[in-house]
Amino acid sequence: MIGTDLQIILPEIVLSVFAMVALLGAVYTTKDKAAGLLVWGTAGIFVIVGLWIGTTGDETREAFAGSFVDDGFARFAKVLILFSAAAILLMSQEYLARRDLLRFEYPVLVTLAVVGMMVMVSAGDLIALYMGLELQSLALYVVASLRRDSVKSTEAGLKYFVLGALSSGLLLYGASLTYGYAGSTLFSDIVASSVDGVSLGLLFGLVFLCAGFAFKVSAAPFHMWTPDVYEGAPTPITAFFATAPKVAAMALFGRVMFDAFGVVVADWQQIVAFLSVVSMFLGSIAAIGQRNIKRLMAYSSITHMGFALMGLAAGTVLGVQAMLIYMAIYVVMNLGTFAFILSMEKDGMPVTDIDALQMYSAREPLKALAMLILLFSLAGVPPLVGFFGKLYVLRAAYDGGLAWLAVAGVVASVIGAFYYLRIVYFMYFGEEREPLDRNGSPVLWGVLMVSAAIMVFGVINLFGVEPLAAAAADTLVN
Amino acid sequence: MSLFYIVLLPFLGALLPGIMNAAGRAACAGVTFVVTLGAFVGLMTNLPAIIAGETVQASIEWLPRLGLNFTLMLDGLGFFFSLLILGIGLLIIAYARHYLSRDDHMGEFFTYLLLFQGAMVGIVLSDNILLLLVFWELTSLSSFLLIGYWKHLPEGRQGARMALTVTGMGGLAMIGGMLILGRIVGSYDLSVILQNRELIQDSPLYLPALILILLGCFTKSAQFPFHFWLPHAMAAPTPVSAYLHSATMVKAGIFLMARLWPVLSGTPEWIVIVTTAGLITMVLGALIALFKHDLKALLAFSTVSHLGLITMLLGTSTAFGAMAAVFHILNHATFKAALFMSAGIVDHEAHTRDIRRLGGLRTLMPVVFTIATVAALSMAGIPFLNGFLSKEMMLEEATHTVLFGSDWLVPVLATVGSLLSAAYCFRFIGHTFLGPVRDDYPHKPHDPNMGMWMPPAILAVLVVVIGTAPFLAEPFVKLVTASLLGAAAEVPDAYLAIWHGLVPALYMSIIAVLGGLLLMLVFAPLLRAWEATPRPEAKAIFDWVVNGAAALAGRVIHGLHNGAFTRYAMIAMVTIVAAGYHAWATGTVGPATRAVQPAGPVPVAGWAMLVAAVIGMVVLHRNRFLALMLIGIVGLMVSVAFVFLSAPDLAMTQFTVEVVTIILMLLALNFLPNRTPVESTLLRRVRDGGVAILGGLAAFALSWHYMLRDAVAAPISEFHLANSYKGGGGTNVVNVILVDFRGFDTYGEIIVLGIAALLIYALTETLLDGPVRRKLLNRLPSQPRSGDMHPMMMVVLTRVIMPVVLLVGFYIFLRGHNEPGGGFIAGLIVSIAVVMQYMASGFAWTSARLRYPYHGVIGAGVLVAGFTGIGSWFVAKPFLTSDFTYVRIPPFQEFELATAALFDLGVFLAVVGAVMLSLESFSRLAHRDGDTDSEFPMDIDPSREEIGPDQPDAPVTGKGVG
Repeated sequence: MIGTDLQIILPEIVLSVFAMVALLGAVYTTKDKAAGLLVWGTAGIFVIVGLWIGTTGDETREAFAGSFVDDGFARFAKVLILFSAAAILLMSQEYLARRDLLRFEYPVLVTLAVVGMMVMVSAGDLIALYMGLELQSLALYVVASLRRDSVKSTEAGLKYFVLGALSSGLLLYGASLTYGYAGSTLFSDIVASSVDGVSLGLLFGLVFLCAGFAFKVSAAPFHMWTPDVYEGAPTPITAFFATAPKVAAMALFGRVMFDAFGVVVADWQQIVAFLSVVSMFLGSIAAIGQRNIKRLMAYSSITHMGFALMGLAAGTVLGVQAMLIYMAIYVVMNLGTFAFILSMEKDGMPVTDIDALQMYSAREPLKALAMLILLFSLAGVPPLVGFFGKLYVLRAAYDGGLAWLAVAGVVASVIGAFYYLRIVYFMYFGEEREPLDRNGSPVLWGVLMVSAAIMVFGVINLFGVEPLAAAAADTLVN
Repeated sequence: MSLFYIVLLPFLGALLPGIMNAAGRAACAGVTFVVTLGAFVGLMTNLPAIIAGETVQASIEWLPRLGLNFTLMLDGLGFFFSLLILGIGLLIIAYARHYLSRDDHMGEFFTYLLLFQGAMVGIVLSDNILLLLVFWELTSLSSFLLIGYWKHLPEGRQGARMALTVTGMGGLAMIGGMLILGRIVGSYDLSVILQNRELIQDSPLYLPALILILLGCFTKSAQFPFHFWLPHAMAAPTPVSAYLHSATMVKAGIFLMARLWPVLSGTPEWIVIVTTAGLITMVLGALIALFKHDLKALLAFSTVSHLGLITMLLGTSTAFGAMAAVFHILNHATFKAALFMSAGIVDHEAHTRDIRRLGGLRTLMPVVFTIATVAALSMAGIPFLNGFLSKEMMLEEATHTVLFGSDWLVPVLATVGSLLSAAYCFRFIGHTFLGPVRDDYPHKPHDPNMGMWMPPAILAVLVVVIGTAPFLAEPFVKLVTASLLGAAAEVPDAYLAIWHGLVPALYMSIIAVLGGLLLMLVFAPLLRAWEATPRPEAKAIFDWVVNGAAALAGRVIHGLHNGAFTRYAMIAMVTIVAAGYHAWATGTVGPATRAVQPAGPVPVAGWAMLVAAVIGMVVLHRNRFLALMLIGIVGLMVSVAFVFLSAPDLAMTQFTVEVVTIILMLLALNFLPNRTPVESTLLRRVRDGGVAILGGLAAFALSWHYMLRDAVAAPISEFHLANSYKGGGGTNVVNVILVDFRGFDTYGEIIVLGIAALLIYALTETLLDGPVRRKLLNRLPSQPRSGDMHPMMMVVLTRVIMPVVLLVGFYIFLRGHNEPGGGFIAGLIVSIAVVMQYMASGFAWTSARLRYPYHGVIGAGVLVAGFTGIGSWFVAKPFLTSDFTYVRIPPFQEFELATAALFDLGVFLAVVGAVMLSLESFSRLAHRDGDTDSEFPMDIDPSREEIGPDQPDAPVTGKGVG
């Protein structure tokens, strides 16, 4: 009954209520003055909710007649989303405050986006999916242009909005076609309707849905917004874009593919494999010529999404598990890297040119070493944890019968290694330049060090993520 | 000792030097030495088992789902390499203790060294190929840190970058090869893989696996065409060069080839690739080495050359070749490490490594001279030294090797390689130590203390011992060879000896040594000739490739991501159309279930008008006003189409919305220039047009497909038709849906509409309070305004029409429940009536006559709708349950009263308020400086005695109210 339903979505309700209370409260009281406090409070609530969800048992519960599913897969993704969003909030507080960008709407918008993401990963129905997706996207459009007086930031927001609207339209079109040819918006009914072969109408629906998701995970060739938005948005926002929403979109992609189209794996496998291979290569090649580290990270994230999609393309339990592990590792690496980028400053102004990192190791050996570890890990060089992520997806693709994709992935990772190594090279062997500021935000320093340490010590057992991801993948695929 | 401890000891020990840095240099070196010694002793405890021919194993589960287990294996081959790594490691640590200067950070150096050592031991002891990969790349990482240790040297930078790029990428390629290999066999354990020679070589994936693995090996061991990085990495401190770049790391590739020799070798692919690469590397490396002036560069290229020699031996795929390779690995490790250390001592003492500035050190540094000479002569292949023995074996093997169908190619090239090798060895000795003593050394050299020369001396003793008494080494070499060969071949019945009789190899050896001496005699002219010859410089090529790749990538990406929105949209559109086409082409297209309806003259005419308007739009779109009119036509035709398709409600809504939006866009035209400038080339327009047509055709195809086929479920309209009157009391299904079936939805929509209008109002207010206001006020008109903006005719007409329109709105509202119409449409109609007043009679005049603020109208609408919904609670029904009844009030006929009508009233009010509020807000933006708002409705009114302010020749009277 409704009581049980509400209990299942209680975490989402709690966050929504918190967002609205915070919004109204701040409007009528202190406005931006207490924004810093609100950021910390929001992060705290994210962590609490994350722990709460993480310690919920391992049963699968459905609310609202199946349109909202709370299973191991959703919980895995939600915990990842909540923790990464909390980390980003903490990392951004000082940066935004010093640049007079810290508005109280910021944590509220992030909270709303996070609620959207949680609904996305739990969606069991096309309507719930769309609702979650739009809640997330609308909040993200706004934060992308948080720096209202910067042309680049507003341009980024506008581009993101228009292309995002286009993709939402596509997705909606796909959803309506799916509904029309499956006769239901529930994933379980859709999958039942395609048991004896998929009709062309449903196939079109699938194609359009995939195109919409590809946009959200910024997989090539629907990635075009990514570099511009990453570059234009304030750096903490970029960091946010690179982490939690990617997890949510990827999890949603997996959810829909398996829950709604799980019996026609061969049909979407080729689409996902195509997205994967194009993303890996485009991201790797495009990053070679980049000097701006934020744009570089944009292309890097495109490449990484290609790898994560490789796991999905495998269409197996191992594939989903590989995707989840890959995303978890990806998020941690990105948190550390962006913590570093956020601390790149010269005379108090943010610097994004990688030339500024020349000979960084001479001045800040520890930070340079941490960044070196992260970059090697991003490149997938053993024995760092990033390598295990790649190994999982490569194996999954290989075992799933996509040997060509695995080999292409190896080639792409070889190309991609180049630009990560170039940054390392600059840091250790560049020419002397004017040094960057030695600013010591303890939060950024801590995030950087912790994520680098995870990259090293995670090799012992990946902090036990493996069995969790395996269990989560099991609940999704079976 | 368990294998785990042997591998883990260096890693755990790596923490110590860093911690003990403060305790001084000796403590750092000492603790490192002890750690290495511990591992070494641990290794030795396993010697009896190895001699007995056993394989020691140890295993714990790591990530079992991934096939990755921490499995270690020690056999003869692994033991051999571990011995080299740890044994030479001990010597290097002792040497480095004295070599590094006081300013160098000892703890850091030894930490990296131990990390590297652990990784190397890990490689050679791994039983799991994925584990091997992990250690493999860990050596890249730690070697990078070691090379980077002396980062102040400018030439070191490029070297480190190249080393990292080449070996890192090679290692990543190897991941692919290992995955394929493991997949073929079904296990990632070497002990299993090595048993499956046939399975692997018969697999269609053998070749890709081989190529990917060899890429890793060749890059690591600096084999042609990846030979160029090694000499550039020589900027590292000499202990590093000696350890990494001669004794251990570069041998990792060799090790892997030897390790996988039983399963990969013997195929034509293997023989051609490996032998050729080795042969070319051997000759090329020796040739370049001969003309290098930097002692370490000379040794580096000689290392390249000798690695090529070993690779070639492995490539021949015979048991004898393998045995020669093992023996040469041993010999090369001894003499080359000794040579590097000697070169380091020379550099350390004389402060230069440039061979042209050296010479005559024989008398100044007798000890070093002896050590270096013994080692160099061994490398040159002089009898009674160990290099001679393995070189003989190599030449012997070469005479039996057929490559590319030629049986002379390999022997000749092998002899040439040996000859060049002998030449550079002689040059090394001659130009460094022999000759007259000079007086211009950068620093006066003399023999260093014993700590520095002892390590190379120990190696030199080994060189001589093995060289004179090869039978001592023979059992060990055979043991290692046996474990290398595995089940693939028998250990050859050869023996290690100085004298094999007058075999061809001996003649070739003699030719090599004599030729080498001869070359030294004519070295000066040769050098001039060499320096005059243009030759490809690997570093330049590498830079060119890197820069070229970056530039190419930049160009490609700039083409894709130039920030232009149209391009993004185009890529997305083309992809979607392609994906749709793919779905169409691969999916099963069911037959059409509906017939195509014949097109009558009316729809065709409507369609033709629509098309004409659209084409006109494309052609004339630069003139914005014309474009707007054409948009109006398009909207009108769409409305007509709705009428034709029996959707009058939709048509009415569309029609009214169309009017309101056109008015809105008219307002927007105020802020824009009259014409859109031409910004794109004709070519681009044609291309964009093509894409647009493609998209249009795709949309057409999709709708065509869907209109000819039934959906799987019955349309929901059946339900609405059946229940519209029964449940909602209305016969106009559309209206009943709006106010009843989906009343909650509509309720939400009017709230959103109201919020949107309020937001527009708020934004306008903020905008007009801010700095933008000045800009807006001061913008220049693109053309003079009409003097008669509010013409009399229009004012009169709108006033006359006003009551009529209001009545029509009221009528539409009332009939909505049963006939086409309803609150939404009525709201729009009434709004249009009011907007016309604004347009005709002016802003000031109209707003002065409006009694109710629009905010209030919106609020009232939402409240009315909300209370209607709440009303149903009083009769214990859910929110917004509608009810209706029929009443008769004389003299009227019986008529229907429905709560839905009340709800519809809310909708009506909200729509009027929202439309008016937003249009009013927008119009306020249109004000310009100098505009005057007249209190009169007409600009020219014969009944007034004044002149309009905008008339050009009239004096401004100031009567207009600002």
